[in-house]
Amino acid sequence: MAESRRTFLKQSAATVAAVSLTGCAPGERAAETEGDALSRTDGTTPVPLPAATLRGVAEAVLPDELGEDGRERAVRAFERWSEALEPVAELSHPYLVPEIRYSGPDPRPGWAAQLEGLEKECESRHGVSLSDLEVPGRRELLARPLADTGPGLGAPQNADHVVAALLAHFFGSAIATDLCYGRAIRRELCRSIEGAEEEPAPLGAAP
Amino acid sequence: MSRAVGRTTRRVVESDVCIIGGGITAAMVAERLAERTGASITVVEAGERTASLDERSDTRARMLAYGENPWPNDHIRGQTGTGAMYNSMVVGGAAMHWGGAVPRFSPEDFRLRSLYGVASDWPISFDDIEPYFQEAEERMGVAGEQGPPEYDPRSKPYPMPPLPLSYSLARMREWTEKTDIPFWTQPWARNTEPYQGRDVCRRCDTCFVCPTGAKYTPDFAFDRLLEAGRIDLVTRTLVRRLSLEPGSDRIAVAEAVDRDAPDEPVEFRAGTFVIAAGHAWSSHLLLLSANSRFPDGLANRTGNVGRYMTGHWYLSGFINLPMRLYPGMFVYNSLLSRRFASPGPLDRYVRHDLRLWESNVGRAPRLTGENGQLLWGDEIMADWRARTESESSARVRAYYDLLPDRDSRLTLDAGRTNELGDPMPRIDYRPAQESIGLQDHTVETISGRFEQLARAAGGSVRSIGRPSELWEHPGGGCRMGNDPATSVVDRWGRTHDHENLFVVGAPTLVSGGCANGTLTFCALSLMSAEEMQKELPSA
Repeated sequence: MAESRRTFLKQSAATVAAVSLTGCAPGERAAETEGDALSRTDGTTPVPLPAATLRGVAEAVLPDELGEDGRERAVRAFERWSEALEPVAELSHPYLVPEIRYSGPDPRPGWAAQLEGLEKECESRHGVSLSDLEVPGRRELLARPLADTGPGLGAPQNADHVVAALLAHFFGSAIATDLCYGRAIRRELCRSIEGAEEEPAPLGAAP
Repeated sequence: MSRAVGRTTRRVVESDVCIIGGGITAAMVAERLAERTGASITVVEAGERTASLDERSDTRARMLAYGENPWPNDHIRGQTGTGAMYNSMVVGGAAMHWGGAVPRFSPEDFRLRSLYGVASDWPISFDDIEPYFQEAEERMGVAGEQGPPEYDPRSKPYPMPPLPLSYSLARMREWTEKTDIPFWTQPWARNTEPYQGRDVCRRCDTCFVCPTGAKYTPDFAFDRLLEAGRIDLVTRTLVRRLSLEPGSDRIAVAEAVDRDAPDEPVEFRAGTFVIAAGHAWSSHLLLLSANSRFPDGLANRTGNVGRYMTGHWYLSGFINLPMRLYPGMFVYNSLLSRRFASPGPLDRYVRHDLRLWESNVGRAPRLTGENGQLLWGDEIMADWRARTESESSARVRAYYDLLPDRDSRLTLDAGRTNELGDPMPRIDYRPAQESIGLQDHTVETISGRFEQLARAAGGSVRSIGRPSELWEHPGGGCRMGNDPATSVVDRWGRTHDHENLFVVGAPTLVSGGCANGTLTFCALSLMSAEEMQKELPSA
């Protein structure tokens, strides 16, 4: 099963990016490339997240069954999503609520600082960088910020801590749903209504 | 045309028909009058255009990624009331971001007093409105499944075959067949065949922003009419009051402000005026238009404008099902039963619909396990799988009829004004005393039916929420009736007080029924258009 999931991930890498971020497969009318679909419009340059530390975190918190390639794709998807995030954006209107709501302030400076803080704490306590620490040691460091997160995974942009944001981004993705069910459900993918009644194909067998 | 009035240049726009508001009921009226008369038609919309079809893929992507509003510029800052109301003020109105659910009201909805001794009868029957239900379905393009005729009466087939069930919904339908409650699928204003130049649904599952154009939105109708040269659509222009012809109760002018040139007033002059501004802004405009002859507002000689604001509440729950489903394949389709909207004789009044969706409630990924321990990577996935392998969740909801009190009311709120200084609307909904007395019985009855459904599946009710008090699919404020003492408009939407002024759609509802209201709003608007036609030049 794990192998078929990895094969699925590998074979559908291009699709995954589009599906998870735009919901539309290449070739669909509504399809966009990932960069086009999530391009920034406010003209600002976001604070970059420390890449090595982020990957060190990902190795400790994302499922091993993703494999290195799958994990890297998940991290890259999170980075691209983060780069295109716009703070204080007008949010979808809740039903019958006349007031306009906006998203919160930019979380990325805080997230970057949290990653830097984790790196410093790791070096101070263990004398190595986070990526060089054994996974159990990393999890011990990461447990504290996650302890206040609560059981659920909300929207990543609302996460107080970057680790929770990374987890929410991955586990909230269509690809994570497919991995959980072992089926090509392909949530929010625009596709023909033909075949809707069919049981979704097992991963690896899906076209 | 511009006229100099004193030192102010006043722009005057003249037409046979002036429609105030640019939402779905305006589109229905404009389209029918354009086809069946030779009248010149002006549609005045305070808002502007929002995302075009070509832009909706991008806005959809950002909505999915960040929760952003996919409809830019769909409201006017400061033009906001208090109480449950839509904030959309845009070409297409709230129907730009609707889901497209279009059930009909039931025959019983129009005869509550006669059949059950509650609320008021409407001045029209189901048979009166049925042809207009059909016409509205054909104008927007509805895909639907014929339910049992006794619960889903119709004289002609749906314009299009129904949307297919997803795998999950098909399994859920098998489950419902073990009960004595008939379920069929919700009718949707989404294409299952190419229709009016629009694509077929691609089950993108973001129906409130459809990136393919398969879902009907009123901008498509306006674009067709504009292309044919049959209407003038004046946007970014807010109508602030209506005024009378001297010595007459006829409406002469809709006075407006061009939001791009606020110092240059705009006058819309017409033979027929149509207020198509939805449940809040229609009553609001009438109240704002008070004058010496109508000191409480136009069409308000008997004090009924803004009263009987209506809608429905719902009870919602989740059911654990002993079957594996795959949530996410086609979330925006659902099963529907109207069995209890047409309940037959009743000892105590309760009417409601039932609808079922797939759900992932209780089966989403989580960071902590059953004992509160933190989960990592593969553990999160294993925990998630364990909760989805042999069990699933279904969401069940019942809209139930809530009868409005006369003091369920929209008023002008002097404490909240827009940038022009006009008071904004305030809605204080209030159920009638008889509805309050039926509340416990209603909740108990519906909860029992949730339990019945769960038992039939060999499952269990996971949770039942408190009644939603949101007054969904709101209407009222200019209710229709034969007696001017208790209503604002007649059966055609013509105001009792002003022979050339119509109010169409949601405001004219007598009661909110127990179904999404949009199709009924549209059908009522088409009925009104039928009456208007009689006095307009022929095509």
